Amino acid sequence: MNKLLLVSVLFIAAALMGILIGPTALNGEIFQLRLSRVILGVFAGGILAFCGGILQGLFGNPLVEPYTLGSASGAALGGSIGILLFGTINPVFAFLGSLGVGLFVYTIARIEGGLLRDRLILAGVVMSFLCSSLVMVIMVIGGRELYEILYLLMGYLGVIVDSSNRLLIATLIIVSFVLVVFLYRYSRELDIISQGLETASGLGINIQKFSIIIFFTTSLLIGFTVSIVGAIGFVGLIVPHISKLLFGPKHLNNLPASFILGATFLLIADTVSRTITVYELPVGVVTSLVGVPFFIYLYKK
Amino acid sequence: MYMVLIVMFTCSQTPQKTGQRIVSLSPAMTEILFSLGARDNLVGVTTFCDYPEEAKRIHKVGDFSHPSVERIVGLKPDIVIVNLPEQLRIKEALEKLEINVFVSSPQSLSDIYEEIAALGELIDRNAAAESLIQYMKTNIKPSEYKRIKRVYVELAPRPIVTIGASNFLNDLLELAGGKNIFSDLERDYPIVSQEVIIERNPEIIIVLHPKDIGDRVGWQEITAIKNRTIIKNLNQDHLLRPGPRLVNGFNELKRVLSE
Repeated sequence: MNKLLLVSVLFIAAALMGILIGPTALNGEIFQLRLSRVILGVFAGGILAFCGGILQGLFGNPLVEPYTLGSASGAALGGSIGILLFGTINPVFAFLGSLGVGLFVYTIARIEGGLLRDRLILAGVVMSFLCSSLVMVIMVIGGRELYEILYLLMGYLGVIVDSSNRLLIATLIIVSFVLVVFLYRYSRELDIISQGLETASGLGINIQKFSIIIFFTTSLLIGFTVSIVGAIGFVGLIVPHISKLLFGPKHLNNLPASFILGATFLLIADTVSRTITVYELPVGVVTSLVGVPFFIYLYKK
Repeated sequence: MYMVLIVMFTCSQTPQKTGQRIVSLSPAMTEILFSLGARDNLVGVTTFCDYPEEAKRIHKVGDFSHPSVERIVGLKPDIVIVNLPEQLRIKEALEKLEINVFVSSPQSLSDIYEEIAALGELIDRNAAAESLIQYMKTNIKPSEYKRIKRVYVELAPRPIVTIGASNFLNDLLELAGGKNIFSDLERDYPIVSQEVIIERNPEIIIVLHPKDIGDRVGWQEITAIKNRTIIKNLNQDHLLRPGPRLVNGFNELKRVLSE
């Protein structure tokens, strides 16, 4: 259990870092600001890594995560349609975008009796491109500026919290935690499925129904996350691997660890992105700088 | 009237020595051309060129970010005015087709004056250009108002975009008796963090987007928020378009800063 201690200490250190380090001196107001940012970071990083871990288990594919599967960009696409229609980003639209694109990618990769590993990722990445282009088109039609698009597609934790969005963000965070607990209860089934689909159906798991539940719920989570902070890449890819390395293949152990490590990773990335200059960088820039080499390493393995 | 227009149109189709055919992809430059009396030279503009009223009736070649090269070329222009950095791609495409391009990319008030002079030279309206510059210079001059206030200008909330040193609005603000809290940043439109805004504690906040900013988390100790000196109703086009109407924008700024 030393590892659990280590992970918790790391998490607390990252959270403290998020509150103590910054371009300005800490005071009451700055504390509130950084605290809300840390909460967003824990929420987004945790959810993305958790979803990454679950999707990797479901597909038996180590390269899957919300970003490479296209569902994060799908959520951004849905979100931008919401922006065009209502002026603000809308979690329901983001969810529908995430679900739609995820299902489409899944359909492309499916063959008789299984999924093609490379095709899943290829289709996901290609759909990601398509969604990003569509986001551009929609945002430009809506008279939005390019930097807004960039921050939506790369993710940004410096979101301004005020009375117009406070309640929505709090609700989405609470609902997301309920969904996370709900998904966590399927840890055992995920263990069996990642052993192979045949064993799983042999043991009486209704794979189709199970996949639908997982897919639907993770899409909700991804949609909610993207609607608040934008599409942050690669947290869901890197973190579950580290978590499995530390806590083994059992989802009962590695999923909670993924959540905590995901939060930790994103908090560190955000601290880097907001302190290296007075300008604000999208946090996705930092996670991609770490994530892409990691992806290539995994792919080669 | 309609006949006259048709006649004018057919006339301008045939090549003439006087009266160059100009396409303006910059709303500010369109306004400048109108004040130089060059309305008849304008054969194409963007959908963003909405001032003066008359500009809306000129043939449209696309919007500000996506003008159509084909439509521009179809108008057989002698000069196309492009705005950098936004229209870099269009500029390159037009130059490949050997079309004369006039670049507008003002980062300061003096850049604006220089561009007006250069444009006047190019279309042979030096005197008009000179008097426009004089009009702007006499109206935009240092305010005698003594107490300089720290001002934060917000152009967009997500991400937060403000103005830096190489932005003519920065010059305008300082002449009007304000101090841009981000005048130490080189860029024209820097993206900044909430923390730094809070630390630099502006006394006046000028908001150039429609969102409310009064109840943001972490902002409540800012002087401008406490004193409710948040300015929301300024005309964006008077402040963000580097053209003749900056004079109006300057007067509005002066009024706001002296209150």
